[in-house]
Amino acid sequence: MKDKVLIANRGEIALRIIEACDQLKLDYVALYTKEDEESLHVRLAKKKYRISDYRDMNDILAVADEENCTAIHPGYGFLSENYRFARRVVKRERPLIWIGPSWEAIRDLGNKLYMKRVAHELGIPVIPGTIEPLYNEIDAEFKAEDLLEEAEAQGFKEISFLIKAVAGGGGMGIEEVKTLEEIRPVFRKIRAYAKRLFGEEGVIIEVKIPRFQHLEVQILGSKKGEYVHFGTRNCTIQSPFKQKRIELAPGFCSKYRYAFDPEKIEREIIEYSLKLAKHFNYDSVGTFEWLITPEGKYYLMEVNTRIQVENEISAKISFIKDKPVNLIREQIRVAMGDNLGYTQSDINFRGMSLEFRLIAEDTRRGFVPLSGTINRFQYTPQPWLTMRTHVPQDTPYTIPTQFDPNLALAIIYAENLEDLLQKSKIFLDDIKIEGQTPKGETLLTNIEFLRENLNFIYQFI
Amino acid sequence: MQIELHKALRDLLDTAEYIKDIKGEDFLNIKEYVNKINEICANFYDFSPSEIKAFYEKTKETVDQILLKAEETLTPYEIVKIVRHPKRFTLMDILENVYDNYVELGGEGELNIDPAIVCAKALISRRVGNEVYFHQVMVIGHEKGQGEEYRRGGSATPWGNEKALRYMKMAETEGIPIHFFIFTPGAYPIEDYPGAAQQIARNLYYLSKLEVPTVSFISEGGSGGAEAIGLTDFRLMSEKGYYSVISPEGGAAIEAKLRDERPPRELVEKMAVALKLTAQDNLKLGTIDRVVPEPPLGARRKDYEFFKRLKFELIKATDQIVLQTRSIKLLRRYALSKQNTESFKYFVNWELSEDEKEILMENRWEKYRKMSQWAVLESKGIFKSLTERGAKITQSLAYEFKYQVLKKGQKTFKKFLDELLSESTVLMKPVSDPVKSVYNLIVGKKIRPKVRALAEIDVDSSMYQSPLALQDRTVTCPQAEKYGCPDLWVPDLYGEFCGVCPTCGYHFPLEYNWYLNNIFDRDSVKFFNEELSSSNPLNFEGYAEKLKAARKETGLNSSLLSFEAKIGGISIVAIMLVADFRQGTVGVAEGEKFIRAIELAKLTRRPFLSLVHTTGGIRIHEGTLGVVQMPRCTMAVRDYVDSGGLYLVVYDNNSYAGPVASFLGSAPYQFALKSTRLGFAGPRVILETTGQPVPPDYHSVENALKRGHIQGIWDRRELRKKLFFALLTMGGPNLYYR
Amino acid sequence: MKIDFQQLTQMIQKLKANPYKIYPVKTPHTGKIIEFKVKEGMEVTGPRGKWLEKPGSPLFVLEREKNPKIISSNYNGVVQNIRFEFLNKFVEAFETVLEIKHALTQEEIISEILLSTLFVIKAPETARYIINPELAKQIEKEGLGKVTVKQGSELLTMTFMKRETPIHLRERGTFVIYRLYFKPFEIVPSNAPLIGLCPVEDLPYLERIIQRIKEEWPA
Repeated sequence: MKDKVLIANRGEIALRIIEACDQLKLDYVALYTKEDEESLHVRLAKKKYRISDYRDMNDILAVADEENCTAIHPGYGFLSENYRFARRVVKRERPLIWIGPSWEAIRDLGNKLYMKRVAHELGIPVIPGTIEPLYNEIDAEFKAEDLLEEAEAQGFKEISFLIKAVAGGGGMGIEEVKTLEEIRPVFRKIRAYAKRLFGEEGVIIEVKIPRFQHLEVQILGSKKGEYVHFGTRNCTIQSPFKQKRIELAPGFCSKYRYAFDPEKIEREIIEYSLKLAKHFNYDSVGTFEWLITPEGKYYLMEVNTRIQVENEISAKISFIKDKPVNLIREQIRVAMGDNLGYTQSDINFRGMSLEFRLIAEDTRRGFVPLSGTINRFQYTPQPWLTMRTHVPQDTPYTIPTQFDPNLALAIIYAENLEDLLQKSKIFLDDIKIEGQTPKGETLLTNIEFLRENLNFIYQFI
Repeated sequence: MQIELHKALRDLLDTAEYIKDIKGEDFLNIKEYVNKINEICANFYDFSPSEIKAFYEKTKETVDQILLKAEETLTPYEIVKIVRHPKRFTLMDILENVYDNYVELGGEGELNIDPAIVCAKALISRRVGNEVYFHQVMVIGHEKGQGEEYRRGGSATPWGNEKALRYMKMAETEGIPIHFFIFTPGAYPIEDYPGAAQQIARNLYYLSKLEVPTVSFISEGGSGGAEAIGLTDFRLMSEKGYYSVISPEGGAAIEAKLRDERPPRELVEKMAVALKLTAQDNLKLGTIDRVVPEPPLGARRKDYEFFKRLKFELIKATDQIVLQTRSIKLLRRYALSKQNTESFKYFVNWELSEDEKEILMENRWEKYRKMSQWAVLESKGIFKSLTERGAKITQSLAYEFKYQVLKKGQKTFKKFLDELLSESTVLMKPVSDPVKSVYNLIVGKKIRPKVRALAEIDVDSSMYQSPLALQDRTVTCPQAEKYGCPDLWVPDLYGEFCGVCPTCGYHFPLEYNWYLNNIFDRDSVKFFNEELSSSNPLNFEGYAEKLKAARKETGLNSSLLSFEAKIGGISIVAIMLVADFRQGTVGVAEGEKFIRAIELAKLTRRPFLSLVHTTGGIRIHEGTLGVVQMPRCTMAVRDYVDSGGLYLVVYDNNSYAGPVASFLGSAPYQFALKSTRLGFAGPRVILETTGQPVPPDYHSVENALKRGHIQGIWDRRELRKKLFFALLTMGGPNLYYR
Repeated sequence: MKIDFQQLTQMIQKLKANPYKIYPVKTPHTGKIIEFKVKEGMEVTGPRGKWLEKPGSPLFVLEREKNPKIISSNYNGVVQNIRFEFLNKFVEAFETVLEIKHALTQEEIISEILLSTLFVIKAPETARYIINPELAKQIEKEGLGKVTVKQGSELLTMTFMKRETPIHLRERGTFVIYRLYFKPFEIVPSNAPLIGLCPVEDLPYLERIIQRIKEEWPA
């Protein structure tokens, strides 16, 4: 029987999955909610169903059954890293193929503390800090003292700590502490906050890394135990809320000066990423995020057990037996049980790639997301430019207010750094996004912010 | 002359009407006699005195004969009717006629804390030869009222029972005996502060060690409401009284599974027989000590002979209690002496010395410990029981030795801590870390933890799997409308979510095995007294079959599991009332098992935990034998708590009625899981009794907390952790690990 | 506050001409409609009981992932336009299955008319709103028309673009919360009314208006 993929996501990722399915000649069914009726993914999908919510597992599975789908692609966000959903998909009476890593891998790698503990056991460097949740201030103080000693031994200067709620994330339940005296009160505060907000009062303490670059390793594993990587990415340029805005591949650029050997470090973080992936029998696409300090220290931060927004810049610089790569297609293929059909030595890297995230937001006022109607969305097609967007260019489009206000991804490919910067500028000068907020004001975008930040790529921030 | 005749005729009419009320108008043509007497009365002056006199004498003879016949054929349900009849004597009549002088406390008539409860300081006199002695007593009882609405037929409110408790304590301070008079169809089932169930439990708790002689007299003993002032050293019951676990109407409705309609008359009458609620029945069952005789068809307001007899019985009962604390010889001499209702041979001083108080407590404890024990089925030879007793004594010595000697070095605590830390179950994780520091706090020194100590990585493959989780389907959270909860996949809900909706925290019911497997340390649960079961002591029709079916279905012999277990290495004794066996109702077997379990906890100085999976109250099929489990078990609770242990109750699902109003509600530490319904009577009973519907959240834990019933609301997902902390931080000084 | 009685009369007249409101009943999510519990023209009731603890009349049964769910009526009224063709069919989310023709009650008429009289806080964005929990508690306890708010009080929380934004009262003075025009967690289109406020000093006028409506529209 021919496989049929249910696309449990929206917007541009739904479109990219549709594209991959078409390439693989697979049937697919798309989903949408009533807010998304104008989205291109709804317009372009041949078969689609309206559901109540992209997070509603029951609606998704009900449609899958109704349409006799055999697999589910969760995209990114929503349910993509929900191990319970992944488990339910494969454990139900009518099981489906989960296009993603095994639910155990999602669970174990998604649990940051657990992942950190395992990584540490495997000898993989992690940010100095507690590996188990702390529940009382006495312990917290002891741990902080020890951390201080350890960090000093490692050559850190002007050390400060981050006190984090285990259950927190995305900047919530986290506070910086500069002296040991502050540990107790801040610890108590964070614990109370965590208890109130997340119902779980565990707290961890980490050394704060003051300046760093954010690198990530793109790996791919198959059900047959084959592993390859697609190089690294540099995602250091982010909004104040730790949301990526410009991503680059590869992760280091030879045009910049480093106080360390970037090739060696790249090699090592790739090696460690693969080691951890193998430990968990990781069998899909995955991203391992690393912090690199100016001195050349590196720490594993977290693992994203899904396809990333920025996957395509890695694909752009990678060539399998000199042919271009589509990571979503590879992800679907391995989920269906295919062999990779190539090894690491078949993969060559050539050129550079950059991704801009075009977003309707007020970058001068705390990056507030904006809603409104887009009346003009226009750019000149270029052979070096790939636009990924669900915003139609032929009709006005109202931005739904329930989701991230991402409008488009602009992926640029170039042979070298100068070329890349030049093309990026050409693109930013050319793109036109015009619209109005519900109050009738001009809709703001982050294009200016992107332009300014082009100056800071490959820097330690 | 004529006036006297008229009065006599009126009295005759009164009696005839009374017979008609009790026996029905068809009983031996009584209706015709009533009509005839009525007619003569109405046209009294149309007849000559001699005519009337002749009529009176003739009719009186017949009516007296009918009365005797009526008495001979009296059925249990008619006894219930006698008790409820407005002509029956009330507590006010007793105060007027039995006592020599009284002052009401806490209000009179309508101006009252609770008009359904009368408390009075009274004098009772005794004639010895030519001397008259006065005894001071505290009189506490229900007043049904003589037609006054505000007395609510003797249904005590929660604050009415609190009033009773206040004057019990006063009597204790003054060292005077208390006479309790039970005239209640049941407690007024509202939950307003201090709470129906709570206050009854509190009363029982105090009554069990009230250091003065207590006598109770039952005319209408309606279940839990009666027990609120019924745990006494001597229980008298009037011959035409009833003492029952439930009203025959209520019992019939439950048995016939009727919801809103009234049960048919025949069923009610049958139920009255089955419940074994008469004085003679209760005497045989051993739930009362003596029956006070009454005239045919029961005493009414003006039966002065009856009051005289009652006075005599009250004094005699009080004497007996007091003498039992002194010497057997004295008591025997007293018993042999020819006491009669006119005069006593002896004067007995009712004041007790400290030593005598202690004996009084022992006697009371023994009395209730033995009560209803005969109705428990237990396969046990003499030999076995002897060896068990021997083992018990040795065990007791061993525990004494172990904990007295080792206590100083805190070795015990350290040992269990070590055990605890080496364990690595999934649930242990959040628990083990806090313990270390709590220990540090207790010991008062800083132990430097190793920084990079890595605990073993947990594997949860051996986790208990709820059978509820084994279906591929979804369910809707009952609070979805309010909180927008998405439908839940059953394997998640009954697996990782512990039956709790992750959106709103609603707790779905879980099977009792879940608790046994997830709350306690792995393989630490050891059951005991499993074979104990009920013997159908009332020969209640159909009950034996019901018990048999429940046994077969559940593999249990009673609704109460008693076991030893460990939480985080701390050894505890626990009981659990499970819904699966007859809705967690309590009868003799459950009561006996409870007492034995808590006694074991006391002996071995371990914490005692009551987990209430569900309890539907006292099981009606065991009548008052079930009801007396309330005082019995509460007494054991008091004994345990006073010994310095930790008694902890955790409610779940539905916890109602008798058990909550006694051995559960009297716990110093009570917690409830979210979504528990907790209270005295269900909404339907409240509507029937008070005529007012109650809001849907009336029995919610949030309200129980506001009313002060429980000390906190717990989440099932954290139950193990919470229990562990409770064991470490709560309870008396006498626990083995302190 | 000034009362334009002429305008008021006009509004009442307009409502009198068509004193009904049609409520479409939609599927809350996907699933199969396995049973209709109503027939065309049948009278149904909304939630009942002193505390609205009894659910409304059952309308149809929607089954999804082996969970048959009874969809019951939120309004009193008459059932119309039942789409029987959906029986035993898989339907999408938010599909209209039937309609309830609901005769407006006195209370609803008052709410409707008050919209033009009260100081109405409107939804700034199409988003989900919940009333400030403290206020919600107070309202639950004391009822509408009792709880007061001042300039700067936090009225609502708007969930918008995955962020929560509090909405404060900007107007000067003390107001009474008189009407709520939205349901929590539901998406409210921008500019739709959320809360109707009345300045404390205007309460007597408001009562006169209500009195007037009650005269025109006996319960």
